[in-house]
Amino acid sequence: MPPISRGFGGRPRREVDPSRVPPGQYVVEDFPVLSAGPTPRTPLEQWSLTIDGAVDEARTWTWDQLRELPAKTFTTDIHCVTKWSKLGTTWTGVSLDTLLEEVETEAEYLTVWCDGDYTTNLTIEDVSDGKAWIAYDFDGEPLDPEHGGPARLLVPHLYLWKSAKWIRGISFTPVDEPGFWEAAGYHNHGDPWREQRYWND
Amino acid sequence: MELWLDGNAIAGLLADALGEDVTATERHCPHCGDDWALGAYRAYRGAGMVLRCPGCGTPGLRVVETVEGFSVAWGADPAR
Amino acid sequence: MAGAALLERLTVARAPVVWRLARVRAVEEAAEAAVTIVLDVDDWPGHAAGQHVDVRLTAEDGYQAQRSYSIASAPEDPGLALTVERIDDGEVSPYLAGELREGDEFELRGPVGGHFTWRVQDGGPLLLVAGGSGFVPLRAMLRHRAAQGSDVDSRLLVSARGWEHVLYRDELSSFGDVHVHVTLTREQPPGWSGSARRVDAEMLRELGPGPEERPRVFVCGPTAFVERAADLLVELGHHPAAIHAERFGPTGR
Repeated sequence: MPPISRGFGGRPRREVDPSRVPPGQYVVEDFPVLSAGPTPRTPLEQWSLTIDGAVDEARTWTWDQLRELPAKTFTTDIHCVTKWSKLGTTWTGVSLDTLLEEVETEAEYLTVWCDGDYTTNLTIEDVSDGKAWIAYDFDGEPLDPEHGGPARLLVPHLYLWKSAKWIRGISFTPVDEPGFWEAAGYHNHGDPWREQRYWND
Repeated sequence: MELWLDGNAIAGLLADALGEDVTATERHCPHCGDDWALGAYRAYRGAGMVLRCPGCGTPGLRVVETVEGFSVAWGADPAR
Repeated sequence: MAGAALLERLTVARAPVVWRLARVRAVEEAAEAAVTIVLDVDDWPGHAAGQHVDVRLTAEDGYQAQRSYSIASAPEDPGLALTVERIDDGEVSPYLAGELREGDEFELRGPVGGHFTWRVQDGGPLLLVAGGSGFVPLRAMLRHRAAQGSDVDSRLLVSARGWEHVLYRDELSSFGDVHVHVTLTREQPPGWSGSARRVDAEMLRELGPGPEERPRVFVCGPTAFVERAADLLVELGHHPAAIHAERFGPTGR
């Protein structure tokens, strides 16, 4: 145990239901901005989302087309591998199931790619059945660019590095291809409830 | 607001990860061909730290702090 | 999967860095809302002026917070000194610059930062540009210069919001033959004879030295201040590679 600094307590932390806090996490009230690179700024008229790769036929949605899809506003908890958790966050977006209905694939794996050079990898299992969203509003307002706006992937049951900011496409792949952080030492799957932080966890 | 600091700001982390103070060490960026001291690289704090070439922005180094130590990945695409 | 895919050899001097125990010897006022903490550090290996340390605090429940602070003392000074400005809604600075007292302990890692250092043998002339708490590492450089009895041509520009915010006010005249210029950007005391505006090209040109003298330039402070000052210096003809910059940003751990 490192030496205790007398009188230091950190920021006042509110009481929370411990069953909502994965092991090793602490709850924050603010929304830390963490980024692997500069904030991209793609104008909406140039924005598109594409699903391609090992699919029968690639599909692309423009911003307007995305916004016409059925969307939902929901509240969820998010967990960052750097140990902060933010409870009760409210998002609006399109379920990835809605988009996946438009493609046919036998592939199990997908790579998410984004404006900037960020990528992450997921299984189809991890993004199906209500587990993943293309989110474009946070707390009732358009998603801030520093938090991934205009749209980010949201996969709340995994550590937040999997919820790729500035998503522009999903490529289905026959094999699992580690993304930006998975190749650098983070866990390939990233389940906060099993504390899958690092590659050898 | 910019999200990066120069590599000096994370000199301690880099020293822990690499075993020595590397901020004065020059690295050749294979992407743009320029040499820059690591202390001049742009350090972004994401899930881990990313040091990007100040000339072209390509990642030169990724550092993940794990329980046991550090995972260090050089270059833009360590998986390939 | 983890580890280097590309092998790149680096040749660097050995400088192993570990966490050491630091014990507070004294806490002194450095300015309004800023303190200088003098420390005894187990097995301190010494440092070069301009370097910084990482400070790690541990609460009783195990929660940890970490921040970086420039070393305020010269390598020749007894005891290691850090100057911390209290940021009201900060997590660590209200503790270090408010609660901390003699005898308290925390962990310290360093010294680190080989890129932003000056030793007397590096020569001059020296141009130091400080924004707010960016004065800390530059003060270490000037104390080192004085301790070594150096007469290297040195010029210091300090920018602060008001006179009460200027760090080490009482030391400014003790740096010896250093040309010091202070600019107070928001409030000036009656009879103020320094500048009363943000750093600009004219102020830097007047302070000198010019680029033809090939000074070693060190700029330190908040990111916006450093970017602006560095841009102005480049516009005045200083070579970008001659400008050492250290940006203080809000990315505490």
